[in-house]
This record gives sequence, structure tokens and C-alpha cells, in this order.
Amino acid sequence: MSKPQVAIFDLAGCEGCQLQIVNLEDSLLQLLSLVDVVEWREAISNHGPEIDIALVEGCLEREEDVARLLHIREKSKILVALGSCAISGGVHQMRNALSSLEARQITYGNNGFLKHLDVHEKVQSLDQIVKVDYSIPGCPIHRQELSYVLRCLALGRIPFIPTYPVCVECRIQENLCLWQQGQLCLGPLTRAGCHATCPSHGTPCIGCRGYSSDANPQGLRQSLNRYHKTPEEFEHHLNLFLGSSLEHAHA
Amino acid sequence: MSVKQISTNMLRGWIDGLLLQKTVIGPVQHQGHFRFESITSSDQLALDYDVTDLPPKKFLLPPREVMMTFRSSGEFQSVMEFHPFVLFGVHPYDMIAINQMDRVFSEKLVDIHYLTRRNACSIVALDPVAVAPHNFSGCMGTATVEKGWDLLLTPLPQDGYLLEIGTEKGNTLLHSIYELPDASLDQLQLREQRWNQNQKSMRRHELKCAPDDLPDLLEQNYDHPLWQEKSSQCLSCGACNIVCPTCYCFDIQDEVDWSLETGVRCRAWDGCLLRDFAEVAGGHNFRKQSAERYRHRFYRKASYLPKRFGEIACVGCGRCISACIPNISNPVEVYNQLVGE
Repeated sequence: MSKPQVAIFDLAGCEGCQLQIVNLEDSLLQLLSLVDVVEWREAISNHGPEIDIALVEGCLEREEDVARLLHIREKSKILVALGSCAISGGVHQMRNALSSLEARQITYGNNGFLKHLDVHEKVQSLDQIVKVDYSIPGCPIHRQELSYVLRCLALGRIPFIPTYPVCVECRIQENLCLWQQGQLCLGPLTRAGCHATCPSHGTPCIGCRGYSSDANPQGLRQSLNRYHKTPEEFEHHLNLFLGSSLEHAHA
Repeated sequence: MSVKQISTNMLRGWIDGLLLQKTVIGPVQHQGHFRFESITSSDQLALDYDVTDLPPKKFLLPPREVMMTFRSSGEFQSVMEFHPFVLFGVHPYDMIAINQMDRVFSEKLVDIHYLTRRNACSIVALDPVAVAPHNFSGCMGTATVEKGWDLLLTPLPQDGYLLEIGTEKGNTLLHSIYELPDASLDQLQLREQRWNQNQKSMRRHELKCAPDDLPDLLEQNYDHPLWQEKSSQCLSCGACNIVCPTCYCFDIQDEVDWSLETGVRCRAWDGCLLRDFAEVAGGHNFRKQSAERYRHRFYRKASYLPKRFGEIACVGCGRCISACIPNISNPVEVYNQLVGE
């Protein structure tokens, strides 16, 4: 069996997820013994025509992003969305609450109208344009999870990534619940798989892995009073990764 | 078997002696909460604890355990853990939960992974002196426990404990200390009083019916609007499952290493409140709605398992009540609401 040809692409994003691949360090050579990386701007320069597995980081901001994604999809057998930007727009989707002009003016002031800053009215995730076969959530991705997914795909198996909330992993570690410690934690709404890294270090979950299955933000809103939290605070936290547009899409 | 008396000092010395030979796991305080964990000195033990955040099940059925190693060519080898350890200070309600788990994992389909670990474990049960904020074991008949333990410690009002030897395994644990004096009749009476008191005081929530009435009560209320109402706030987070001493459902996953030739088969805790729990091959889900999953937990504890084993599978520890962020998990509140109509 020949090694699967893997290519790594980036759309709009910080390249932090790709950095996680570089950060595999001690298992990078093992990864390379398993797959051939044929295209990766961050690390290599040759370009291959055929791709078995495309790992795509980032979301779609500009028209040329769409054309590029369509092209990637066309030449790839399996397309994997890498990280929260690719899966749901990540932090970029915060601007979807505004018009693109407003967002550009807030960010760039008087230069916001410049032609090269032309972006789509709304940020889009990969699955709004093409079929996405698998997703590796997180901001950034969890590099062990990527390794696991690549091994599964090399074997032709469906990878298992939890869809239940972070609370499961947090409770198993016997952490004190941050809600009960007076903090606003998005663990109950957020997809697990991160081993509850943030809450285990006393930092509330910010929702970077996206909504868990059957997440119930409306249910959590009804508990805010009990924990002396305001709706404004809650929406503010939610806005970063679990914005209202995503909530409706999720429901 | 016999009941002995042991002073607190002697007890500490005995535990420190045990630590030279075995792993000892007991309740330890962290930020005002308690956890069962491996200790290195008897000083770490919080023997006046009220309840631990997770029950001791985590040492008998670990959150994640390797069940076997395999090769892609088809050979495999079961992995069994035999590492003798002492579970120290298990409260009656948790002991009863372990007794139920023992039965589930040994009837019909014998679970050799669980039983190997269970056989390597000696249990020293402990009658509590503090009542946890939501404990209702007094209502469930689980505030005291007659069997399952190898040794049972009951604190005396002044100093020291009574120590009942339940099994030969328990007797062996005592080999390192000199003959203990027998309990006096007065002390035995004090022990009875402690038990009576615990049965009365461990009722932070009062169940309006007898536990034996619960299966019938549920039978009549499958379509009650309460399930929908309460579960509208359910976060499907599974906290009530994870912290429950009688939740032992698991999922099984395979993982291969980089060679793609060898791998391990693991089991990990699962929970019926989680959406994927009842999803089967082909994508069908038997309990797609959060309300169905919410209802299922109560039926499993107080109807399905009692019908099979003759015992209510809720021991009244109250951990689910403390763990539930929206505060909808209190079994007594649910049952009382059903009784009330």
C-alpha cells in the first residue's frame, strides 16, 4: 500500500493550527513515515497534483478563498477542516454581527474602505461552500488529536472525536466546577476532546472547540441568576467562539 | 465475625504499617472538597469527610482502561491489572453501590477486567460522622451497610473506633498489629446508636414514599409532563452520570500506534445523558431527545435495575444534586413531584 498523499492548506486564519503540526516534533518523523506531505506552504515548497487527504485551516473571508477551496476540494479525496476557523469561522465570525464595512472601520479606521481589504459581507466556514469529510476542532487544534485522525484515515477508519461537552472530561479529573467557584465557564456547551485543559488549570472554557451535540445555551441562560451572572456577561463570553449565529445554525 | 476496639493512634499506626506493603487509597481534602486518592501517610486521611466529589468506583472501573493489546494480524492479549490495594474509608452508601457493581459485573457476562481488580482490592468501610449537603441515604436504606466490606470502622463518640472483621481478607490486613481487645457491650450499643442516628440524620431530602414504591410510581408516569419541563434546562453534560456511584456504563474504542500494526482496545466511561450514548451503527439514536435521556436515568435507577436485581440503584449520596449546574437532577425532588399528584 502506497502512503497517503497529504496536503496542508491555509485560508483566513492565524496559522496556529499548522504550527501545532510543526509542534508535533517528537512524532513528526513517525507521521512522515505514515504519509507523504505533498503540499505545505508553511514547511515545504513543492506542489503535488493528486491529494488523498487535504487538511484545510482557516475560514473564507474573500472571493479568492472560495475559488481556492473549490479547487482543493476538486483534487482531494478526503477533506479535513482543521481548527475552529475552518469549522465555524472561529473568532472571525464575531464580525458577522456587523456589516463588513463597520468591521473594517473598527479595525482599520479611515483605511477600512481600501480596495485590498474587500471581504465578503459574512465570514463563511468550509462546510458552507464544500463537503467537509472530517473536522478537527479547537483553537488551536490538539496535536495528538490530529495524529490520531491521520492514523485512522490511513487505516480507512472513522476517527472518534467526542461530541459530548467538556464537563465530562473535567468531572472525570475531579476538578471543582468553575461555575460553583463563581466563574463563567463554557464547558457545558463546548465539545470535549481537549482533556478539559483550561478548566483543569483554573481557567474557564471559552468554547474554542465549538458547540457540543445538543448544546443547550438557552438552558444555561436560565441558570445565570443562580450563579450571579448577567445575560450581558454570558453573551459576551459566548460571542468569541459560540456566537449567536452559530447557536441558531446549531439548533 | 468479631468486633474489636482500636484507638485513633493505633489506627493511624496500623495504616502507616499497611502503607509499607500496599497501596492505600482513602479520602483526602482539597480546597474543602474530598477525593479518594492514593496516600503516602495516614496523616493525609480525612476520616471525618462527608462525601467525595467522585465515588470510589474510579479505582474499580477506571475512567479509561486498556482491556487488550492487539496486532493487525489478529493476535491479541487481554490486559488484567492485579495490583493489591486497600480502599480505606468507604461510606455505607458507596459500599452498597460497589456491591451492586460486583453483581452486575459477575452475573451472566463475567467481566474479568473488573473482577481481577476487585479481587485485588480490600475494602475498609467507615460509618460517617458528617452528613453531606445533599445526602439522602437515610431515605434509601443505605445509611448503614451489612456486607461487602472486609473491615468496618465505626467512630466512637469519645476517641477511637470499633472495628468489625467481615472477611478473612480483612483479618489478613490486621496481621501487622497485636491482638486488639474485643468491643465491650456498651461500645456495641454506642455503635447501634451511631447507626440509628445516621439513618435519621442522613436525610437532607425527604422522600415522600418508600424506595420500594418507586418502580410502580415510575411505571405510572412514563408520559408525565415533568420529564419535558425539567429537561428543558438539561445541558446533556453527563455530570450526573460521571459522579454517580451506580453509573458504570462504558464505551469501547480502539487506538493504533504509528506502525498501524499494533494497538490497544480501551474502555472509557460513558453516560446515558450524553447524546451519542444511544446512537448505534447506521446513525439511529434510541434517545435522541434530551427529555428521553433525562427520564431514562430515573427509570434505570428506580425501575429497570430494581426489576432485574431487586434493589433500587440509587444510594442517596446526593452527588448528582451537587454536580448539576441547572439544579434539575435531584431524584427526591422528581419522585416527590410524581408522588404529589
